[in-house]
Amino acid sequence: MVLKSAARTAALLTLAFALTPPVAGQPVRSIIRGQVSIDLAETVVRRPSPTDPGEPLTRDAADQRRAVVYFETAPRGAFEDRDANRARLDQRNERFVPRVVAVTVGSTVDFPNNDRTYHNVFSLSKTKRFDLGRYAAGHSKSVRFDRPGIVRVFCDIHSHMNAFILVFAHRYFSVTDASGRYEIDGVPPGTYTLSAWFDGSVRDQKTVTVTPDARVLEVDFNAR
Amino acid sequence: MIKHAPRSRLFAAIVALLAHSSAARIASADEWPDRPLTLFDDRVVLGGEALVTAAPEDEGFFNYTDYDRSALRLVRLGVTTSVRANEHLSFLAEVRAEGDTGAGAWSGEPYALLVRVRPWLNRSFELQAGRIPPAFGGFLRRSYGRDNPLIGYPLAYQYLTTLRADALPRHADDLLERRGTGWYTGYNVGSAGWTHGVPLISAFRYDTGVLGRYASASNRVELLGSVTTGTLSRPRVRDDNGSPQVAGRVVLRPLTGLVAGLSAARGAFLANDVTYALSEGGRASEYAQRTLGADVEYSRGYAVVRAEWVHASWRLPALEEPALTDALGAGSLSVEGRYTLAPGFYVAARADRLWFSTVSGTYGSAPWDADVSRLEAGAGYSLIRNVIIKGSYQYNRRDGGRVRRAHYGAAQLVLWF
Repeated sequence: MVLKSAARTAALLTLAFALTPPVAGQPVRSIIRGQVSIDLAETVVRRPSPTDPGEPLTRDAADQRRAVVYFETAPRGAFEDRDANRARLDQRNERFVPRVVAVTVGSTVDFPNNDRTYHNVFSLSKTKRFDLGRYAAGHSKSVRFDRPGIVRVFCDIHSHMNAFILVFAHRYFSVTDASGRYEIDGVPPGTYTLSAWFDGSVRDQKTVTVTPDARVLEVDFNAR
Repeated sequence: MIKHAPRSRLFAAIVALLAHSSAARIASADEWPDRPLTLFDDRVVLGGEALVTAAPEDEGFFNYTDYDRSALRLVRLGVTTSVRANEHLSFLAEVRAEGDTGAGAWSGEPYALLVRVRPWLNRSFELQAGRIPPAFGGFLRRSYGRDNPLIGYPLAYQYLTTLRADALPRHADDLLERRGTGWYTGYNVGSAGWTHGVPLISAFRYDTGVLGRYASASNRVELLGSVTTGTLSRPRVRDDNGSPQVAGRVVLRPLTGLVAGLSAARGAFLANDVTYALSEGGRASEYAQRTLGADVEYSRGYAVVRAEWVHASWRLPALEEPALTDALGAGSLSVEGRYTLAPGFYVAARADRLWFSTVSGTYGSAPWDADVSRLEAGAGYSLIRNVIIKGSYQYNRRDGGRVRRAHYGAAQLVLWF
């Protein structure tokens, strides 16, 4: 299911090249922002085992509720605009923090280990397969992501650790903050399909028309 | 002792469990089954493992287990359920249906069934009571298909010696005659039937009792202690000799990546079935299994190396000449390594040796059971994160018995969630 979702998203992101809406002359750039409502925080629990301690894991409910809002169809020229950047996915208290990272193609993600124990970060996703091996606290390794799609990230030692990296071919996306708010700026006029993604799949979609005189558009999603 | 369920009933149970799991996922996750299933606000957590193993017939019985099936032809569906009553109290049950792809020998029963108590939430201390893993050794805590890099098990945890708790050799010659036949052995004193002997430590069943676990705040020191009804070689649900086993284990993590453990256990070995043969005033509880173990694991980068040494000794009553005056000893050394070559793909190997102390019979001295060596090498590939296919080649050599050398190839599919 995850791989299907990843493949579907990758295909949609690629299709976005072909489905770019028209752009009016010298448009005013607008902001689309809003709220993503999520009922269920994704749970992080240990696999039940008689040989593992039964101590509960520390939880960060806000981090578990992070969603991503992105354009299914990006404005023309968006793919030339994108800036490769650098992001960070910490390993802390046997969790990946943040649990969701979104970057543009060509970006590099650092994986610092800030725990007292070893971690072994890896992914078997089609978008990017990698295995960073075991490394101790204070050390970090990096991975560059060259293809759009969804990358599931796990730890080979602690099976309850998991995270998502969403790699976009354009810059029109936003990860929600602790209160579920998002904001995408610099949007040229046009009609776009926006998707709200949460925990492996698209939970809600909206079609939005940005007029030349629009400044701020409020678009809320229900990702329940 | 072993419940052989009809195959159709077992498959029906497996289907029912899978159906239940599928229903549960709809409420908890949109992908299945790469994470535990949760219900009722995480109060109920279900995990599981299914594995299917295929190999040619083990004519030398090198891989037979104390459930009369080969570890190289094992089929298993295990479902583990944890129910959290509150922050202090939880329950855990692991139910397994197991069989042998060749011989059948199907069974289904609880592997673990325990209550967990955490008296203090700010301390890493817990008590377990019920059917529990004993506080001994390194391999018992990674014997699941997902954790075992190969298909076979270390000799100390699986290989069947010629010793039995419910039947006794009358003298040393009795024992020496049966060298290398641990999968099917019998003696004239005690139970009359012939069946398998015991391994040094059983990896295929848990004991019944109480376990305490404490870890320091930094987790650099971990202490475990248990009191159980059976012994490491013969875990029991019900006590049959009136004397418990006491086991303890210390785990040290001095450096990141380095784990060292020391274990010791002592428990009465003989069953009450043989007490009639003991000298007047003799009690079965005096004849104990004593076991010592040391294990170390070091990992770095893409490599993991482990070594484990186990020494067990059993004291048996000296009934007739040539008498078994000394305790019967058995030692084992196992060294294994695993190296990840590419994401999801690893190679692994294990070298194993099991040796036995010498006893004196009418016609000379010899180890009381036939020494065994094993070399296993293989590879594993993750089709997806929680589906692993493994292949391995295993070479066995034994200094006695009908079949002294055997080569086996084996393949295994493991799914876990």
